[in-house]
Amino acid sequence: MIYRTLLYILGMAGGLMVCFLLLPARLPGTTLMGYGTNWLLIWLVGWSLRRPVPIAVGVGICLGLLQDTLVLPPEAGLLPSHSLGLGLSGGLTAMLEKQRYIQEDFISVALIVFAMVVVTETVNALQRTVLGGEVIAVWSDHQRIALSSAVLTSLWSPACYFPLSQLRHWFYRSVNQT
Amino acid sequence: MAQIQRWWLRYGWQLGLVCVGIYCALVLRQEHSMLITEIYEFFSRPFQVTVSRAEYLQDAKVQELQFRITELENQNSQLQRMLQVEKKRSASEQWAPIIGRSGDAWWQEVLIGKGKSAGITIGSIVEGEGGLVGRVTNTGNSSSQVLLISDSSSQVGVMVSRSRVMGILRGRNQSLGTVEFFVRDADVKAGDIIVTSPVSSLFPQGIPVGRVRSVDINKQPAPEAVVEFIAPLGLLEYVRVSHS
Repeated sequence: MIYRTLLYILGMAGGLMVCFLLLPARLPGTTLMGYGTNWLLIWLVGWSLRRPVPIAVGVGICLGLLQDTLVLPPEAGLLPSHSLGLGLSGGLTAMLEKQRYIQEDFISVALIVFAMVVVTETVNALQRTVLGGEVIAVWSDHQRIALSSAVLTSLWSPACYFPLSQLRHWFYRSVNQT
Repeated sequence: MAQIQRWWLRYGWQLGLVCVGIYCALVLRQEHSMLITEIYEFFSRPFQVTVSRAEYLQDAKVQELQFRITELENQNSQLQRMLQVEKKRSASEQWAPIIGRSGDAWWQEVLIGKGKSAGITIGSIVEGEGGLVGRVTNTGNSSSQVLLISDSSSQVGVMVSRSRVMGILRGRNQSLGTVEFFVRDADVKAGDIIVTSPVSSLFPQGIPVGRVRSVDINKQPAPEAVVEFIAPLGLLEYVRVSHS
């Protein structure tokens, strides 16, 4: 049992690690109009689907801070930060009552991911506006980024979600058996 | 109340872990830690394209030299424009094959496969890959005779590119020629580049001709230099003819 738990945790953390490392890497096929895939968000959505809201929010914030460390220059202050957008989308995902409305399959996960990318990018654009960005530039950028990134990320979401959901199913099945 | 307590019992440790995680991430962010970047670098190293240092430097060097040449050429043409130097070189150039070369006059003349019908006139300049080859001395309808600069009767006004000392280049019926200088203290040494002189009436100025192999400083009345031609006169197959 302990081994299985360890394996489960290792698998989840490994998946997170891979998503993290894919984030700044622009592999062929993972860019559209110059914008990349938001791998962290796919992982977060997959993870938050059956979690309590506060924990999903916390994990989202944590991932956002780590992403800041990786992609933003160290001179930049705490804001703008990816953590707000990721925290919000983690919470929203956890709030969805999947058992009632949505089945856990690729299509619905891809849909959720699509919506969450739009949410995250909107939060980012809001932050930039509040922090004194040029309004027209920020929001015309936002349209482009949100659309292309949402399409791309939701198309890639099964690649990340499938192994993790298999791992989770295997783990809970073995827990229920013992 | 009981519900909250149950929730806390079930998920409290997870929440605690998450809080610790957020704290750690904040610390990493605040301390400008390179930890994550280092980890990324470590994992992505096998996928990074590596170019050998020497290759890279060599490429860069070649490029730098090319850029410098371009820059110098531009500067030069600008200066010439300022000085209003007339360009003697004509724009009309064409390539012609070598169709005949006699064994007993190997270093004296060649026949090329274009003539009057292609617009070639007596006195047209013939260049090969690398530099000056000779000039047209006789034209037919579709072939022409070229006097090589290695012919002993050929005389070309030349100049040492470095010190601008002028002289006359004579052929020696081989792949070497002799430059006779006009002044006693000609500043010339082995390795200097010889180009056609600006006062030459037969050739436009500045065409590369050869490189100085040795200098006979004691020659009377003026020093003499042995020059190897840059264009491979013995291996010519095609030449570029430009008519004035």
